Amino acid sequence: MNLFRKNWTPSEADEWTVHDLVASILGVLAFFLGTIGVIGAFLFQLWGFVCLVVAGALTILMYRVIDPKLRAMSEAFEEKQQEYLDDLERTVRWESRDGH
Amino acid sequence: MEQVHSGVEFTALDWVWTILFVLLMIVCGVIFYRLGKRSESDFFLAGRGLPWWLPATSVYATHTATDTPMWIGGAIYHWGVRGIWFPFFAAWTAVSAFVSTRIFRRSLAMSQAEWQSLRYSGLGAELLRGWLAGWQTFMNMFVIAWVSAAMGKICVYLFDWPNWVGVILFTSVCAVYVLVAGYWGVIMADFQQGIISFIVITLVSVWGVVAAGGPSGIVEKLETLGQSWRMNPFHFDGFWGLDTNCFYTLDFLTLLIMATVGGLGMGNFIDWYPEAQRIQSARSVRDASYAIWAGGFLSLLRNSVWAVAILGFFVLYPNIQSEAEYEMGWFRLGFEHLPAGMVGVFFAGIIAIHLSTVSTHLNLGALYATRDLYHHYVNPEASQAKLVRVGRWNTVFLLAGAFLLGLTMQSITSWLIFALWLQAAGIWIPSILQVVWWRFNSWAYLSSWIANLLMSWLVVWVLPELGLFPELPNWVNFWLLAFLVSLVYVPVTFLTKSDDLDHLVRYYVMSRPLGFWGPIRQEAERRGLIAAQEGGTN
Repeated sequence: MNLFRKNWTPSEADEWTVHDLVASILGVLAFFLGTIGVIGAFLFQLWGFVCLVVAGALTILMYRVIDPKLRAMSEAFEEKQQEYLDDLERTVRWESRDGH
Repeated sequence: MEQVHSGVEFTALDWVWTILFVLLMIVCGVIFYRLGKRSESDFFLAGRGLPWWLPATSVYATHTATDTPMWIGGAIYHWGVRGIWFPFFAAWTAVSAFVSTRIFRRSLAMSQAEWQSLRYSGLGAELLRGWLAGWQTFMNMFVIAWVSAAMGKICVYLFDWPNWVGVILFTSVCAVYVLVAGYWGVIMADFQQGIISFIVITLVSVWGVVAAGGPSGIVEKLETLGQSWRMNPFHFDGFWGLDTNCFYTLDFLTLLIMATVGGLGMGNFIDWYPEAQRIQSARSVRDASYAIWAGGFLSLLRNSVWAVAILGFFVLYPNIQSEAEYEMGWFRLGFEHLPAGMVGVFFAGIIAIHLSTVSTHLNLGALYATRDLYHHYVNPEASQAKLVRVGRWNTVFLLAGAFLLGLTMQSITSWLIFALWLQAAGIWIPSILQVVWWRFNSWAYLSSWIANLLMSWLVVWVLPELGLFPELPNWVNFWLLAFLVSLVYVPVTFLTKSDDLDHLVRYYVMSRPLGFWGPIRQEAERRGLIAAQEGGTN
């Protein structure tokens, strides 16, 4: 499995894969390290700066893992969006809930 | 209410800064008048066409309110920097960006209430939509009220104005551009307000740190005071315990679980609702994901900047016992230590912080009242012009209600800790289940809401107040409420029918949710609506 896969078909991008899981974990770690990193850096503690650098690196990594997949999914979905929006207005109408 | 007055003197230059900033903020919103009035979608979602950085700034700006430095400052002053984990629940956005944000954006629902009627079917879905719409109309009014109450408190502190003046004045200023330009005004004003507030927050906090002796001075003074534990975010009072005055590892773990697993759900936190509006206003799924991720990250970094400033405040004023006094710590750093002429910039920053939050909740409350109540139930044939007009009237209604509530509120910190997570404890798991499990139905979710509202008030406030139940630490309250409410919604799930299959298939094909959707997926494949699965993990 290639974590840094660049080419996705729309139907492949629609599926949940390990890329979503990895991006979520990297994102949370970046948030965690960023939160304590800013505190440490403002107090001029070495660990604070280290945390901030690692948080930045994780953010870049997360972007590289998830962006190609998000792009493929978005482009395919946006092409159908207007059709979906028209359908949405019909689906959620109060009078037509039972098809009347 | 206990009030503190600063005796701060505003110079002519300070007033010039303040007036210029206020004018800039109003103009930034009002000039989008023509875009806002085009349609319901423009008035409430800016036409669903925004690049990620606009809703991202808005997420950050919205969640930077006048009460935020009070309750985060209060938590840090009381608990040391380990108090930073209380607002860490905002990290749900890191997971949500790639899970629930993606699912919600694909549903195209204008609001969370509308999403309920896409996810569920039948009478239960309608009841849930009506309930959430009413609840959100009230909650947004409530949020405007509490941030306006915080603004009133600041104005008493600064100018010794009567409380009602601060509560009403700046919120009314904000209403001008929300009424005129709707969400277009909100998002554009949020962009410049977000930038102003980030600069001002950093500037004032750095100034406060310097006033406290600089980074090394703070570290030394904390050691001298025997308070160096305050710098350690992982300083816990043991693994677990029942003392409400202690911060246990289990408190931290509970907050961490809430923050991470919570990102799978929709509606677990009250922050979800404004975020849902920002998600749908983004021009694509990708833009929505990055907007939520970046906005959440900025909010957490801001909390950390405040935390250090409050450490500085503690060093300067170490023995304050009154919560009402120490929760004003960050404001005192600015007003007591900035040079003349800069105080006006600081106050303008506070106004930016206030307006960005109020504008969002005015427009969001009006969205629920207009789209989910008026348009859905009262007048489904309403023209776009009529819907925009009703949206404006609903904005006025929210404003008036918020003023009435805001004039009656007392302590900020205790309200917020209750409202932000305890109140949501019982629906935390159901809010995830509704996203990840096809069999979870509308009756189960509705029952969890009702049970949670009753039980959270009883367990957290009413029974301890009457001496019938012990006062428990936050982590116990959270899991206890989660368990008690599950005694209601789990039986309801299995005793009631699942949602209509056609409805679930339609929802699945459009939103492609994560989790336990096997039977629905198989049916969608059987009908040829989606390709048979090969390598996915659904």
